[in-house]
Amino acid sequence: MNQSFYLAIKYLQYYKIRTLVLVGAIGLILYLPLGLQRLIVESEDQMMARADNTPLIIGAKGNSTDLVINTLYFEQTKIDGLQFKNIEAIDEIGFGFSIPIISVFKARGFPIIGTNLDYFHFRDLKIGKGINLRYVGECVIGKKVAERLNLSPGDSLVSSPENFLDLAGVYPLQMKVVGILESTDTPDDHAIFTDLKTNWIIMGLGHGHQDLKNVNDPSLVLERDSAKVIANSKLFIYNKVDGKEMESFHFHGDINNYPITSILFIPENHKASTLLRGRFETGEFKEQIVVPSLIVENLLQKIFQVKQIFNTAFILVGIATLFILGLIIILTLRLRKDELYTMFSIGSSKNKTFEIIGFELFITALMSVVVMLVLYSFTGLFVDYFIHQFII
Amino acid sequence: MKNYLLFATLIILVSCGLDKGSKVKADKVKPVVVTVNYPLYYFAGRIGGELIQLEYPIPADVDPAYWIPDDDDLEIYQSADIILANGANYAKWMNNVSLPSSRVVNTTSSVKEKYIALEDVATHSHGAEGEHEHTGYAFTTWLDFEIAAVQAQAVKDELVKKFPDNKEELEANYELLKKDILNLHKLMQDVALLLEYQPVIGSHPVYQYLAKAYSLNIQSVHFEPDEMPSDDQWKEFDGIMEHHPARIMFWEDEPMPGVKEILNKKEIKTVVFNPCSNKIYDLDFLEAMKKNINNLSKLE
Amino acid sequence: MIEISNIHFQYPKSDFKLQMDRLKIDRGSKTAIIGPSGFGKTTLLNLLAGILVPDEGQIQLDGVMVNNLSENERRNFRIRKIGFVFQDFRLIPYLNVLDNILLPYRINNKLKINRETTASVKNLANEFDIGDKLKKYPAKLSHGERQRVAICRALINTPPIIMADEPTGNLDPENKRKIMNILFEYVRKFGSTLITVTHDHEMLKGFINTIDFGHFQNN
Repeated sequence: MNQSFYLAIKYLQYYKIRTLVLVGAIGLILYLPLGLQRLIVESEDQMMARADNTPLIIGAKGNSTDLVINTLYFEQTKIDGLQFKNIEAIDEIGFGFSIPIISVFKARGFPIIGTNLDYFHFRDLKIGKGINLRYVGECVIGKKVAERLNLSPGDSLVSSPENFLDLAGVYPLQMKVVGILESTDTPDDHAIFTDLKTNWIIMGLGHGHQDLKNVNDPSLVLERDSAKVIANSKLFIYNKVDGKEMESFHFHGDINNYPITSILFIPENHKASTLLRGRFETGEFKEQIVVPSLIVENLLQKIFQVKQIFNTAFILVGIATLFILGLIIILTLRLRKDELYTMFSIGSSKNKTFEIIGFELFITALMSVVVMLVLYSFTGLFVDYFIHQFII
Repeated sequence: MKNYLLFATLIILVSCGLDKGSKVKADKVKPVVVTVNYPLYYFAGRIGGELIQLEYPIPADVDPAYWIPDDDDLEIYQSADIILANGANYAKWMNNVSLPSSRVVNTTSSVKEKYIALEDVATHSHGAEGEHEHTGYAFTTWLDFEIAAVQAQAVKDELVKKFPDNKEELEANYELLKKDILNLHKLMQDVALLLEYQPVIGSHPVYQYLAKAYSLNIQSVHFEPDEMPSDDQWKEFDGIMEHHPARIMFWEDEPMPGVKEILNKKEIKTVVFNPCSNKIYDLDFLEAMKKNINNLSKLE
Repeated sequence: MIEISNIHFQYPKSDFKLQMDRLKIDRGSKTAIIGPSGFGKTTLLNLLAGILVPDEGQIQLDGVMVNNLSENERRNFRIRKIGFVFQDFRLIPYLNVLDNILLPYRINNKLKINRETTASVKNLANEFDIGDKLKKYPAKLSHGERQRVAICRALINTPPIIMADEPTGNLDPENKRKIMNILFEYVRKFGSTLITVTHDHEMLKGFINTIDFGHFQNN
């Protein structure tokens, strides 16, 4: 081994803590701008990919950014909703088909997304474990939900009574987990999917009760004839839907008036998309239609203007750090004057001294770069967190 | 002889196609079409022919309106390319399952204004809501043959979307079917004149669309053809008769002799008019309806 | 042989001057330089070693005019010819005893470390009773052990000239005698020239020549 390199290693090894602190500090300073850049770029890519993969979103008139964030990224922002009948009115035109979305409730911190099987086909979501939705009351969960809550097919999951719309009469529903999706690195990993009707049950728009015509407990029945049966309040409203109970489950009122949050519209082709948007612009529909990629692009542009400020700050910090490092090196050399003079006295040349110091700096720099690379490699794990904390 | 054997083989094969035992997953080479009742199955077969793979997981001995699919049956619906639904909340099981809505075709969506709201509903109340009823609609829409033709058109339109290159063939098949259905309509109109405004009792509330389309005056009870009604049920029957003195009673199937005897004593004639929600023995939809109309014509 | 003639030396920005008309030290001899602190004993040693260069005059070591050599040449000369024991040992704190002793080899490309070198280190260390301390670091050694390491470092490449600045400073009398005996034995064995700076008159026994700086400067 090169003797200067050997001496440099020995120096750094002996002053371990000093070396580690220096390596850590330099590594961190090198990492910060690169790490932030990666977070921003990957966040941008992820968000844009999601938006690009969604042709059109239809929602109630209002803040289009909130509409897109709610529908694409399942951030339950406060937006006015639509009614189920809106779907038929739009699909009747024949330009494509709608996928309804309800995003109001949560279960253990994760959003419950009410939709239908079309959503899974559209997003190409595959079942990793278990099966897809079959009956009302079942749910399919994203990979991350399963990992964080340690759930498997067959387990139960109860919806939270709170909801950001402050709906009264919300019935916590015990849902049966029937499947876990394969990971997609999208917000779908963090969501709980149910059928629309399951969401309506949580809202209290549907429920089950014992079949009154066959009720044998006379204390439950006030009046009965062949046309009607009136029961008293002793009758129990289920808060879970499961297999057998399904037969006596039902909804009240006209399902067409039931609420949904928004609609993903999948046009047949680009021309159909343009024509449909044209119809909305002429006022044929009271709702709004948005192209998600345009909204998200606009959102990202505004947010990432902040990136410029960060970059300037990092440059200044970097320059300051260089100065400080320079000072540290000078002070260290002063402290080591005797040691270096000893080597010179014994027979070391000035070049040799520079070589030893040079190797020390090189090894420190190399280790700092390694620290930077390790931190950089882990950055990808925090993209989701970054998006949720700082962007949406 | 050869033709006879071939015909017999075809009959057997068609019957097998309707057998619940054949719950095999769809062959994905042809688009799979599945229906919620027999009339739609018939229409799809007449129009789609060899272009489609028709599935019908409903067993022969159940009323499709009250049938509930098991997991295997549900999978057939969930994986189908086209699900032909009747509308008017016919297949209630669809309310409780998850389906790819883009593939569900409500064949009566264009005639929703013709849905008949049920008056005779099971009203109940519980909790703080107070009394309410399950709003519903009568669902045997195809018994109004003009609506049946609309349903057939809806089937044709969906198949044309799927097979734009075969539009001509599909249109031709549909026209033939439409002709047959509208012929039923004409026959029914003619035979209904015989019953003009005569009070009729229906064994079950399944004749609403028939009554409305052909001006029949029908009120219904809840009698089963193979059961002797209870005393309460007879009491209800007599109650209706007091203000609705019917001399004719429509049955979905031939009533048991004891019931027929009682009705004879009450001077009430029985007529079988099978709504054909599910396949009837070896009669197809057209044959079954013609037979129904023929039964009515004998009332003269 | 070491010969000095008419050397003048003054540190920059300092009033201190060293002047010496003539000095002759024979090869293989043992010479002690004594005198009070601040009289230039260490300065003389540094001039002889070529670490410092006189403003005037000549210094000749083994026929070589050291003061006429370039810095590199003086350095190479030093590493081959002179083993230097510093007043305060000047061990490298982050090198263990083995590496400290081998330091001359590590800082000069002309000297190569091989198995024999390592064996020499071990033998030398054993002679100075620090053979079991090779993996220890200077901070963990006693004053006397550090001194011995410094001496071993000076002797490792068998230099013909050994210059020791207070080699027994702060040691107890017994250890002083031990160290000097080992040095004298080394000088006898290899025929090296020993020049020692000391202020300890007790240690003068065994030295052939004595240069009294107190008297000398006065003169």
